[in-house]
Amino acid sequence: MAKHDTPLLDELEKGPWPSFVTDIKRQAEKKPDCWDILGQLELSYKDRITHWKHGGIVGVFGYGGGIVGRYSDVPKQFPGVEHFHTVRVNQPASKYYSTENLRALMDLWEKHGSGMTNMHGSTGDIILLGCRTEALEPFFWDLTHEMGQDLGGSGSNLRTPANCLGQSRCEWSCYDTEEACHHLTMHYQDEIHRPAFPYKFKFKFSGCPNDCVAAAARSDFAVIGNWRDDIQIDQAAVKEYVAGNYPANGGSYSGKDWGPFSIKKEVLDLCPTECMWMEGDELKIDNAECTRCMHCINVMPRALRPGKVKGASISIGAKAPILDGAQFATLIIPFIEVSAENEFEGIIDVIEEVWDWWMTVGKNRERVGETMQRVGLPTFIKVMGLDPIPQHIKEPRSNPYVFWEEEEVEGGFERDVEEFRARHAA
Amino acid sequence: MAMSDEDLEKAIIEKAIKAPKPQLYIKDFYKCDPDSKARRIKNIANGLVNKGELMFWSSGSTTMYARPDRIKNEEGAEGIN
Amino acid sequence: MGYDPANPMADRITDIGPPHYSKFHPPVIANNKGKWLWHEITQPGVLVHKAESGDECWTVRVGAARLISIELIREMCDIADAHCDGYLRFTTRNNVEFMVDDKAKVQPLLDDLASRGNKFPVGGTGAGVTNIVHTQGWVHCHTPATDASGVVKAVMDELFDYFVTMKLPAQVRVALACCLNMCGAVHASDIAILGVHRKPPMIDHSRITGVCELPLAISACPLGAVKPAKAEINGKEIKTVKVNVERCMFCGNCYTMCPAMPLADPEGDGIAILVGGKVSNSRSHPKFSKLVIPFLPNTPPRWPETVAAVKNILETYAADARKYERVGEWCERIGWEKFFEKTGIPFTIKSVDDYRLAYDTWRTTTQFKYTSHIK
Repeated sequence: MAKHDTPLLDELEKGPWPSFVTDIKRQAEKKPDCWDILGQLELSYKDRITHWKHGGIVGVFGYGGGIVGRYSDVPKQFPGVEHFHTVRVNQPASKYYSTENLRALMDLWEKHGSGMTNMHGSTGDIILLGCRTEALEPFFWDLTHEMGQDLGGSGSNLRTPANCLGQSRCEWSCYDTEEACHHLTMHYQDEIHRPAFPYKFKFKFSGCPNDCVAAAARSDFAVIGNWRDDIQIDQAAVKEYVAGNYPANGGSYSGKDWGPFSIKKEVLDLCPTECMWMEGDELKIDNAECTRCMHCINVMPRALRPGKVKGASISIGAKAPILDGAQFATLIIPFIEVSAENEFEGIIDVIEEVWDWWMTVGKNRERVGETMQRVGLPTFIKVMGLDPIPQHIKEPRSNPYVFWEEEEVEGGFERDVEEFRARHAA
Repeated sequence: MAMSDEDLEKAIIEKAIKAPKPQLYIKDFYKCDPDSKARRIKNIANGLVNKGELMFWSSGSTTMYARPDRIKNEEGAEGIN
Repeated sequence: MGYDPANPMADRITDIGPPHYSKFHPPVIANNKGKWLWHEITQPGVLVHKAESGDECWTVRVGAARLISIELIREMCDIADAHCDGYLRFTTRNNVEFMVDDKAKVQPLLDDLASRGNKFPVGGTGAGVTNIVHTQGWVHCHTPATDASGVVKAVMDELFDYFVTMKLPAQVRVALACCLNMCGAVHASDIAILGVHRKPPMIDHSRITGVCELPLAISACPLGAVKPAKAEINGKEIKTVKVNVERCMFCGNCYTMCPAMPLADPEGDGIAILVGGKVSNSRSHPKFSKLVIPFLPNTPPRWPETVAAVKNILETYAADARKYERVGEWCERIGWEKFFEKTGIPFTIKSVDDYRLAYDTWRTTTQFKYTSHIK
């Protein structure tokens, strides 16, 4: 039986898309506190404003992250959500689950929490939504002891790393994203659970330049799969595409009649570097000119594949607009081998180089991309011990204000003005 | 030369007691021993949380450190950590 | 034996991390990892991946709300137990994927999903609208300028046809963040729905001493609009802050650091629409989303203005863009003046950047198109 009238929310039970309102009502039959979620949300719909208070100080002992405190500002009306803390549980890489594992986790959340979740939060964690302060330690005990699972990151920690599903089910992935993600998650447990940095720091792992996990847009440290040799071509399959026997873009366009497939219009002409052409019925690629944008591979997945010398590009410093404006990650390492055999040594070296610098130079609440902006890319390149290369920039600077260093200029900066005046009258 | 663990712990606690504001960023502790690497100071400060000498204080997006007895709680908030 | 409050540190386990992903791979995934040849979307929401071994992995993708109950997750587990050997996965965009190793198992799975009402819509693939990624909104957050789950439900109801079909010029990624913090990072989406505040923070002088560290609140402001001040409370002078309203950009960063500076407001808050972002490197470089509608009111429960605005942009794009062109690529080809003309969205000065790095967006060529904007 519904505890509160929710005429506004009931409107969201209509329509073809799955309704979270219907779902919460279903859960409320078993976990009556959920009626108060609906009650308070209905009040927000009426008042057009949130009724959650600023988070309090909650967590499990010894961890500086993984729990976000939340309290209702109308607890007398809705006692079931007086405390409504969020628990972030570190998701398994790629977000595959066995039903056995998922059911056990749900049982645990039925025991300790509200019964509502997000699968998943923006960063990638399993979000368990809503529990009381006194439930946190018992939940954490059961999570670690019964499930062998752990919390993710929040606050000024390394946030829970995330990856696209990579080689597990994608033919384009240039390295093993899920192994990289899992390995680094385990390697940096301390940084995930306890604050270490001026502000949050995110890793994300995408298998190819399509970047399905949006690493370049939202992670401080983006590892994006790439290759350095030639695109693999199956000329027989090219002919099938030209003949219209294979669907373009893996069938992505089957809902509308776009006319017969034209390799010229749909592949050659859309190549940003114009490095492809047909010789008779053979597709040719000038791979030295290719920037590996993925378009041709996306359109003809049966004919084209990334090369065989695979690895990743590392780009650093993406963030959402707060506060200085949005930033994409800047390409810092164009190509690096990524190998589980050496335990991702190459990537770890780069990460720790960034951290050692940013932990000292970064201001409080400054993302690494903002620190890079503040000190400038030239300084960052030097700090990283890298040689500057044209791949670091879109175009050379258009102003001439170079910060020359004294040792770069013959004779240094110290000069004698008297001697100058002896030859140049004032 | 970098301080011993014990001296560094003492310096961090003293800083947390005497600082004008109760919440401190990890960077505020770096000054306790300029000869130590940032990551060592972070490890020592986090160790002090385990010993109950410091606590984590989180705004949700930012985590800071404080002496437990210097923290004012939001109404209803029962900070334990 | 469980948690013992009298002895909280006994046998404590920490820092064990997540379970190894390989425990959760369905057999067809475990057997063919790294050996996939190609994939094809055989119908909306159904993908087949072909492996070197000849094995096939058939995936059925279904949309879900991001806010879901353990009851619904258990129902998903029932489906996975009945059809998928007890495995399933979630995508980055809150879709659920059920995988089977034989084409013959696809139809029974689809039939089962269809038999469960509207809980499991199959789609979200190829040149369509896939699930909206979003934040918490009024369901769970203290800083939102709008709800998230409700707006997303209303928009997806209207765009549903584009979720279950593949008839757009390219995939369209819609995202929602309920405040400028953008914990949902919507800044590189084809269409972004963003909660915005428009009133500066109030200052609760009676509580500020109790709940805020003033230096944190002052330094939180990116434009230096928060200054130290004094106020009188019960005849006693206290230290507090004041806000230079002219410099306030309504970001809410001060409230993040100081609960005594609330800025949410029923009339002040609403939604801005940004378009033309993309993350993929395909063809053109990644792009940020650009602000085209500065404000729409919060009109629960179904936000008709926002729904109509998103649909208008989507359908104008669908009718005008070339095959493979993402929303941002279409905008750049036709020119932004044409975008405003074709969509009928009024161009306002709010779309002209006056924040940092603004000059990058100002036009410095005489190349333009004559649209109705030129009188």
